Amino acid sequence: MKNVKLHLLVLGLIIISEFIGVISIPIGIGTIVLLPMLFAMILGVFLTPKFLNIAKQKEMDDASSLIGLTLMLLMAKYGTNIGPTLPKILASSPALILQEFGNLGTVLFGVPIAVYIGLKREAIGGAHSIAREGNVALIGERFGLDSPEGEGVLGVYIVGTVFGTIFVGLMASLLAAYTPLHPYSLAMASGVGSASMMTAGVASLVAMFPEMEEMLTAFGATSNMLSGLDGIYMSIWLALPLSERLYKKFYKLKYGELPEPPVTREIKEEK
Amino acid sequence: MNLKHSLIVLLITAAISLVGNFVGYQISIIEAIPGMLILVAISIAGIALAKVLPGNIPSVAYIVTLSTIMTVPGFPGAATISGLVGKVNFLALATPILGYAGIYTGKNLDSLKKTGWKIIMLALFVIFGTYIGSAIIADVVLRIIGQI
Repeated sequence: MKNVKLHLLVLGLIIISEFIGVISIPIGIGTIVLLPMLFAMILGVFLTPKFLNIAKQKEMDDASSLIGLTLMLLMAKYGTNIGPTLPKILASSPALILQEFGNLGTVLFGVPIAVYIGLKREAIGGAHSIAREGNVALIGERFGLDSPEGEGVLGVYIVGTVFGTIFVGLMASLLAAYTPLHPYSLAMASGVGSASMMTAGVASLVAMFPEMEEMLTAFGATSNMLSGLDGIYMSIWLALPLSERLYKKFYKLKYGELPEPPVTREIKEEK
Repeated sequence: MNLKHSLIVLLITAAISLVGNFVGYQISIIEAIPGMLILVAISIAGIALAKVLPGNIPSVAYIVTLSTIMTVPGFPGAATISGLVGKVNFLALATPILGYAGIYTGKNLDSLKKTGWKIIMLALFVIFGTYIGSAIIADVVLRIIGQI
């Protein structure tokens, strides 16, 4: 926190990013929305040693310890949008709860694609969830992070960290423009269990439908909290077993034989 | 990190956000200060509650719960609190987080290089999968229960 340079750098990033403002690029019937937060992130990366080398190792280390705290104000703000809309949120709770099972979409899309492009057991670690911190811990505990499963989950974690916010933001605006999915549904879907990805998704939607701001942010934040609550149980009880089954099925389809049985840490220790 | 440190970091982030709130959304800094201080107070209260109360519940949960309760229609002063916090644009609060996150991401670039293209593709499909899965279910259910 005593790193004055870091805070001044961020202040500079904010002034530039907010000055650029929201950029809307019309494409066909829809719009892609580029938000100041995306500029801030990209400019932030450019400050680091690989590029301009203005932010050094110390700034990067300090920034990583501060992210959790900087999120708090935004979370408090989300709460103030949930409060006034609470009756509507409660009325929509069946949708909020059931859409949590949509998180299994990671497995349904991920495992077949992973096997198709030639990944082996990395698929189990990488596709059972969107690989946030809790999931990395889970896979580490069950298979060890030096296993193929560990490699999968860590890889997806890194890619999600670097590209996740940008990707979710673009996806939200594209789906809102090109599909009949209602902005409320897309806002709920944005709550994938990562506050920054959710914010990117919701913010893109708000830029397109400003009159719905309160409901969109409230739905996104509520769904994100639910994902935080149920995420790890969903992974243990549903996503991991489902990943194993789909993996076997698609492995057999591609290679004509069953894969090797999984090696968990318990089995390793018995050997 | 103790409470005092947390409070200082929150105040710094708040100050940066106030500048962004002015540059990006033309809301004067003076006008937005009360709302921002409410957010800081709620945040620090949530962090303190997480430390004091048992159950190892993360402070974020307390923060969202507190700010939800304080703005539910019928809570004393809910409308005033909503009005003041309304002067703080939520995008202005998100931009600084991504600024810090961008600088932090510099740390991950080496590991990203080591990650093969297959994992990168997998990651994008995984994020797409959860998003579209949840969106479709939410859409169907919201239509069935008549909320949209």
